Amino acid sequence: MQDKQKGQRLNVPMAANRRDMLRAMAALGLTTGVLGKFGISAAFGADFDWKKYAGTKINLLMVGGEGDDRAFADLVPEFEAQTGMTIEITAPALGPLIEKSLQNLQAPQSAYDVISYLGFLTTQQVGAGYYEQLNSYIDDPGLTPPDWDFGDFLQPALRNVGIFDMASGTVGKGTDVYGVPGTHSGSAIYFYRKDLFEAAGLQPAKTWDEFHAAAKALTTDEVAGASFIGANDFSLALVDWFTRFITIGGTLMTGDPHTKDFKPNVDSPEGVRALQMMIDLLPYAPKNVTKYGFAENVDGFSTGKIAQMIFWSTIAGPVFDPDKSLVADKTGTGPVPADEGQTPRAIQGGWGIGIPKNADPAKKAAAWLALTWFTSKKVNNYLVDKYQIDANRTSSFTDPDLLAKFPYLADSLAAASSAESLATARIPECFQLNDVMNVEFNSALLGIQDAKTACAKVQVQWEDMLRKAGHLA
Amino acid sequence: MSLAAAPAPPRSVFGKPENPRRTVLVLLGPCIVYLVLFSIYPLFHSLRLSFTDMSAAAGGGDWVGLKNYADLLVDPLFWNAAKNSAIMVVLSVGIQIVLGVALAMFFNLHLKGSWIVRGILMLPMLMTPIVVGLMWRALLNPDWGLIDWAIRLTGLEPPDWLGSVNMAIVTLVLVDCWQWTPFVFLIVFARLQALPLDIFEAANVDGAGPIVTFRRITLPMLMPAIVFAGVFRAVDAFRSFDLVFGLSYGGPARGTTTLSFFAFQHGFQFQNYGYAAAIAYAMLIILSVGTTVMLRYAQIRPETGR
Repeated sequence: MQDKQKGQRLNVPMAANRRDMLRAMAALGLTTGVLGKFGISAAFGADFDWKKYAGTKINLLMVGGEGDDRAFADLVPEFEAQTGMTIEITAPALGPLIEKSLQNLQAPQSAYDVISYLGFLTTQQVGAGYYEQLNSYIDDPGLTPPDWDFGDFLQPALRNVGIFDMASGTVGKGTDVYGVPGTHSGSAIYFYRKDLFEAAGLQPAKTWDEFHAAAKALTTDEVAGASFIGANDFSLALVDWFTRFITIGGTLMTGDPHTKDFKPNVDSPEGVRALQMMIDLLPYAPKNVTKYGFAENVDGFSTGKIAQMIFWSTIAGPVFDPDKSLVADKTGTGPVPADEGQTPRAIQGGWGIGIPKNADPAKKAAAWLALTWFTSKKVNNYLVDKYQIDANRTSSFTDPDLLAKFPYLADSLAAASSAESLATARIPECFQLNDVMNVEFNSALLGIQDAKTACAKVQVQWEDMLRKAGHLA
Repeated sequence: MSLAAAPAPPRSVFGKPENPRRTVLVLLGPCIVYLVLFSIYPLFHSLRLSFTDMSAAAGGGDWVGLKNYADLLVDPLFWNAAKNSAIMVVLSVGIQIVLGVALAMFFNLHLKGSWIVRGILMLPMLMTPIVVGLMWRALLNPDWGLIDWAIRLTGLEPPDWLGSVNMAIVTLVLVDCWQWTPFVFLIVFARLQALPLDIFEAANVDGAGPIVTFRRITLPMLMPAIVFAGVFRAVDAFRSFDLVFGLSYGGPARGTTTLSFFAFQHGFQFQNYGYAAAIAYAMLIILSVGTTVMLRYAQIRPETGR
């Protein structure tokens, strides 16, 4: 019992600040390194019975269309050869995935033994008690491969998708593990054109004032000084507005849904200013930026038409790929800009993966083995190397070979280590709240309303929805 | 003395005495089972759902009576979606009927080689709406779309097809017309081919000109086909979802959010299953009333057009 508690403290340094966390991570890395040097890991690995569940068929449900499913599909033959198990992967797009997941999680028995869920839905799915608690699996050397290394997962990503305190209904609190970062994680980083900045004698922006000044200075007929997601898109509020908002001192929500005082601060001065900053960029942004979603911005940057933007770090792969990008050798990355005195940070994105509580009990241990296999260091490295998918393990970000190949990984790691979880992800209405924000902010960018009106409208609609849902008295 | 033998009861194909009730059950049974399982049960299940607050948040959901319907009536987003659906129906169907009839009249001239053009004209109708949406989204892309590029070649500035709230719904209507005008044309053209020639010959003898002939003879006789095509297209346009999904995703600023897309958002994005079911039933009610009125109008006499 004592050992188990000790193991939990070691594996999940929840109450630690960032410095403690990094220290713990370093210690874990050192320990692993020392063990590896003396061949102890290898010995454990050799002793581990990979074939103990041979003949079992595992059904995995995960998102399709984001690259991870292709990578997993590549690895199925290797998995089946090593474990003797078979695996069937179902990978619908996000919308159908959510529906299918909920249908299975709410059924008497889930047809899927392992399910991947979006981090923003952790409260909805893990908080509803649908997933198996994993601490006993993690701590059991008979069930968990010795080199799986739970402590290697990025801690903010783990807190975002895996740790949940059922008593208080709070994600990221306590030491109970219900999922691990599965498929990809990630945050937003700053992308800029090194050649344009050098030619103009500018330094990459560290503050939003510098970002705006660079946008103004670098705008030409061929190149937009800056871009952002201006379309009515999932990431308009989550990446562009939210990053500006929190790095100029904004706090999205105050209070707690459980005490019914969960109040939004969208119409705060910081909220209005964050949106106004985007409106002020319109003269220097691509002409059609209000129609720019994810693909348009990646295309625009890769074809050399955008000088700088903040964006999901996951696009670094295609942007730095000479086969897909005209600016592969001209692009630089860095932390997102922030006001003086503020920490550069952005939103925590990513996926979790877990075992449904109502999965076939006879297959749960086999499902856990499959889960550990597909979230191992080796697989994570493969995801980064082959598809440039955002890593969720520290070792993948710091792998010398990968780092030499993809220099942006250092900035991605910094961003992922300081990423901030979306406060509204604590409640199941998260997606609906986000939709309201995207629509109103898109309207403001289209010139239909000003920033103050847009933020005020979001505030009113959010408060109304929070009251109806019982999160605000 | 011999008694006349009673006629043998009719036998079924299986050689057993025929039991009409059993035969009916055997023949209709599979069909009834299919209908109950895949039509009637889902219909009643979703109706029941619309009276609950079932959602991802609330789980199984409690019975809330007419609350979802009451909420719909005061939800400005529902009325916005209803307005967009109404615009889609009125504009799309109106344009498609005018163009469809015009095309039918044109092809009825049987010009040389017109059969080839007629075949090509049908192609959009054969495409999946989601593909049509994505294809037009690419064609109208303001940065690299073929259509904007072609317009710029002429020295003109292309419209903001999908970027302005007012223009986006017009674009949606235009793309819908591109795909479905051939359907109206096909129905009207088939009817046109079947019209009796003697009436036209009589009109010609009486000295009726082409405009009078069209207005007083052709159009009234085409009216049942036009109404049929109109009702069919109106129902389809009212339920328009996949085109919206592929082309504009309901934006900008909810300018192209139709009722189907609104129901999709609540059902699949926000997981408010009860509310989404209520939206679907509100659509069913509107459609039932609308089609009843239109079909009543369709009961016209071709001779008089009334």
